[in-house]
Amino acid sequence: MAWKRSDETPGYNPSEPAPAPRPTPAPSFSSTTTSSEPPRRTSGDRATIGPSIFIKGDLTGDEDLVIEGRVEGKVDLKQNNVTVGPDGKVKADVFGRVVTIEGEVDGNVFAQEQAVLRKSGAIRGNITAPRVVLEDGSRFKGTIDMEPKERHGGGFQSSGANRPSSAGSSTSTDAGKTSESPAGVNRPAQAG
Amino acid sequence: MSWLSSLRGTGSRKEPAAKGSGSQTQTAEDAPEIHRSLALPAVFAALSRGQRLNVLDLGAALGSNVERLSEYGCRLDIEDLYASKSAAAEGGSLGPEFFAEFLAPAEGRQFDLVLAWDLFNYLDRKELASLGSRLRQFCRPGALIFALVSYHKTIPAQPIRFRFVDQDQDQLIYERRTTVERPGPRFAPAEFNELLRGFRVDRSFLLRHGIQEYLFMREGS
Repeated sequence: MAWKRSDETPGYNPSEPAPAPRPTPAPSFSSTTTSSEPPRRTSGDRATIGPSIFIKGDLTGDEDLVIEGRVEGKVDLKQNNVTVGPDGKVKADVFGRVVTIEGEVDGNVFAQEQAVLRKSGAIRGNITAPRVVLEDGSRFKGTIDMEPKERHGGGFQSSGANRPSSAGSSTSTDAGKTSESPAGVNRPAQAG
Repeated sequence: MSWLSSLRGTGSRKEPAAKGSGSQTQTAEDAPEIHRSLALPAVFAALSRGQRLNVLDLGAALGSNVERLSEYGCRLDIEDLYASKSAAAEGGSLGPEFFAEFLAPAEGRQFDLVLAWDLFNYLDRKELASLGSRLRQFCRPGALIFALVSYHKTIPAQPIRFRFVDQDQDQLIYERRTTVERPGPRFAPAEFNELLRGFRVDRSFLLRHGIQEYLFMREGS
């Protein structure tokens, strides 16, 4: 399993019978996942992909997501916030409400509200967002597509409904492949 | 005398820059160093035309500049010329193949505005001609290039970082990143006719401190 819902019990084992249905879309896992460390739990309704996790495939869901590991494919959480942590390495298009990049992204970033590239972050790709924040020292190569002010409020077409209540939120993967990656190998590479 | 030292030596004041006619550069204790531009208003006039412009920034990615440009809802390409050049060759002259790889916008993309800042000073004549050829290819007729060209013998070893100043349309904050100097190319105005073929000088302002501001316009209809 790539990561756990933040409201799951500490001893949750994916091999055990599935928990009772939830009011919001249940997580869907189409592949097996191995990890050398348990998925991290964070406060609030936020899932974390730990530094030892490598996911190849598409990620969708309804809760905020922090990526500390590696993802290849597509990250599609248009109604939620996505953060690529300092050790995160994403080779994918990233869709989110507020997308914050502290690690490395090789792909396009689409943010409904705001895209933030932190000092430690690097993006090789295009950013589409009504508001873009680039911290000095960050590395960026690509195009920033900024909506005119009068058109703010929807930088791209949203496929989801209104943001669900936090109590029933969930995050899921639709991963094609997953594999284990040793912790500590996902350091951001120096962008050219 | 270096570019910056001459900038500092001209019109230095111990108070923030005040608006007014003419061009000057000011420094002040506890105040940002300001470069007053005469060409910059034309840049903002172009941005304010109401169309969604394609802008190419050849400088480093600076958050304040991105934020300012975001007010105009443009498409902004950031291609750090100096960083790319430094990574590609140390000291050697770069040929057209470098610039073909360096400036390869999305298919169909035609730029309306190019922010070259002081980066022409960090190219030799052959390199500037190669860059000019690429810009000619990817700028639509009427597109503008904003450039600051030094006529000093020496220039800072690394490009100065220029930032827009809040809502001002005629001032730039400049940040020098090194005290080391290097020889400057000292392009003569007439040279640009050859080096930037397909562009004409739309406006040019020789400032008192040996800096010439240029707005080049892509010819054609």
